[in-house]
Amino acid sequence: MASKPESGPSPAQGVGPLYRPDGEKPTATVSKEVSYDNVHVLPQTPQLIALLTMIRDKRTSRADFIFYSNRIIRLLVEEGLNHLPVVEQSITTPVGRSYLGVKFEGKICGVSIMRAGEAMEQGLRDCCRSVRIGKILIQRDEESCMPKLFYDKLPSDIADRWVLLLDPMFATGGSATLAVETLIERGVPEHRILFLNLIASPSGVAEFAERFPKLRVVTSFIDQGLDEKKYIIPGLGDFGDRYYSM
Amino acid sequence: MESVSPLYSLSTEVHYSPPWQDLSIIGIAGSSGSGKSSVAMEIVKSLNLPWVVILVMDSFYKTLTAEQHKKAHANEYDFDCPESIDFDILVDTLRDLKKGKRANIPVYSFAEHQRQPNTTTLYSPRVIILEGILALHDPRIVEMLDVKIFVEADMDVCLGRRILRDVRERGRDIEGIIKQWFEFVKPSYTRYVEPQRPISDIIIPRGIENTTAIDMVVKHIQRKLQEKSDNHTEELRKLGLVAAEVELPLNVHVLPSTPQFVGMNTILQNPETEQEDFIFYFDRLVSILIEKALDMTLYVSANVETPQGNTYLGLHPKGTVSAVAILRGGSCMETALKRSIPDCLTGRVLIQTNESNEEPELHYLKLPSQIEEHATVLLIDSQMSSGGAALMAVRVLIDHGVEQQRIVFVTCAAGERGLKRLTAVYPRINVVVGRIEEEWEPRWIEKRYFGC
Repeated sequence: MASKPESGPSPAQGVGPLYRPDGEKPTATVSKEVSYDNVHVLPQTPQLIALLTMIRDKRTSRADFIFYSNRIIRLLVEEGLNHLPVVEQSITTPVGRSYLGVKFEGKICGVSIMRAGEAMEQGLRDCCRSVRIGKILIQRDEESCMPKLFYDKLPSDIADRWVLLLDPMFATGGSATLAVETLIERGVPEHRILFLNLIASPSGVAEFAERFPKLRVVTSFIDQGLDEKKYIIPGLGDFGDRYYSM
Repeated sequence: MESVSPLYSLSTEVHYSPPWQDLSIIGIAGSSGSGKSSVAMEIVKSLNLPWVVILVMDSFYKTLTAEQHKKAHANEYDFDCPESIDFDILVDTLRDLKKGKRANIPVYSFAEHQRQPNTTTLYSPRVIILEGILALHDPRIVEMLDVKIFVEADMDVCLGRRILRDVRERGRDIEGIIKQWFEFVKPSYTRYVEPQRPISDIIIPRGIENTTAIDMVVKHIQRKLQEKSDNHTEELRKLGLVAAEVELPLNVHVLPSTPQFVGMNTILQNPETEQEDFIFYFDRLVSILIEKALDMTLYVSANVETPQGNTYLGLHPKGTVSAVAILRGGSCMETALKRSIPDCLTGRVLIQTNESNEEPELHYLKLPSQIEEHATVLLIDSQMSSGGAALMAVRVLIDHGVEQQRIVFVTCAAGERGLKRLTAVYPRINVVVGRIEEEWEPRWIEKRYFGC
């Protein structure tokens, strides 16, 4: 069931392990909740909030920004991969016991939306060593002010793969929508696309979830909203600039 | 008093005593120059165990006043009477060690006749040999001794040895040595040293040359140690039985069986997996455990400003997070640990399980300094089977001032019984575990990871 998220501030609550008494949990702002089945927000654990705090802080140095974003990205990738299919596999362990486990099924690839999305490739590679990675360049068309596809280079067999679409900031979702449309055009079924991002806007998530009901969004945080320049607030500034050049 | 959170009040704490709490103390007394220290060294050599320590009573000399200091230089101070030794501190030290606690041994400078500001730390010996002319003098000490030895030698031989030693090793002159001998050493022998003879268990005449007597002592100590080790193993077994009844507490966090997590566990447990893949998936799996463990650390609220000038109420980590690896298994996890905390202060403790009786033994210990002030200490081990090593390692941390609730034990796989035993004894520690085994299984992860 879909409900429109409000544009008020995100909720603040005590965060910490379950067993800890409430008085011992420090208060922090956590992600807004949305009720779309295809939107998955990482558990709001204190360690995730602390990592996000580091990358939001404007005083954080570039090296630290890269380090802490990579840690969040690995958590996102681990969560994203959990949506891929597995098949049962029974094995005999080194101590001779039988273990009913699972085997990963299906080929995957990453597709990053240039340039900020490329910053997420390292984190993806940390979890999937030899994964193929395609790239899409989308820029705003100066005449129409609409996002326009400038370049793409995707694996030729992408239609047979699960796609992890990478873009750290999910504001209006304009570029992501165009990217998804490009993927669908190349024959990737909607349900085999996972869109991984660090911070999302409530309106971006809502529109996207309704437009692509079978696609899954994995994010670490749904923020308060957008400012008049369509920047996520409180956000973290320009991810690409902070990762690559600031 | 430590405050106990009401959540835990249901679980009854079960006690665990590490083997070093059942320490054996051997006292060796005898005249100066009788060969006490040679006998002590010979016993250590013959026992050939890692946890035998010789404690020399000279370390417990009292600090001299300026006046006494002057006397000492003129060889007019009596170092051979009981008053010159600080028996109270010695008794406290031995009592602490008997309780399994860490003890600070004073360092005494013969040149300055003063106790030095620094101390030597003594922890977890299984056998202590207390050596000194008056080792059997104080009844409070005698009561704690397992074996009381009196070493005897001809007084002429004693004087000869003393002259040689003091001239060669302590740079003294012969007149002074002889003056001291007749004025203090010899009278003190008759008055204090010799009376210890009848209360000793074994008298060793001719000191070091008496191999039969030394051999007897060594055999006796070995028998005692065997008994104690059997008791420890039996105690561990009983703890396991008690613990089997209890439920796992809330502060034991078992990672959810997500498809990826189970898939990685399948690859890791499959003997056909290449070593290269094993290492990759192991590091990846441990990274998840470490990130989970960091949820158990302390945070404080913090307002930060984003580049656009908005504020965000988030969290900052509070205090230092350090780690202690239980060797060898724990060191497999350091690559992943350093992915999350690249400069993590890391201590190491080598605990080996004796293959003959499955008793864990502490062999080596090196902890970060000021570990007692760290907000969280991650205790890492790749695998926990019976839990003996983990019990011992937690005890080591507690003895070094780390509070239970600041310890997070992180392991990839644990036996259910071992885990219950650990949490029954230490209900306030936090545990992050990858998967729980119903039965006991031998350690194999470290062999796969290191390839040997």
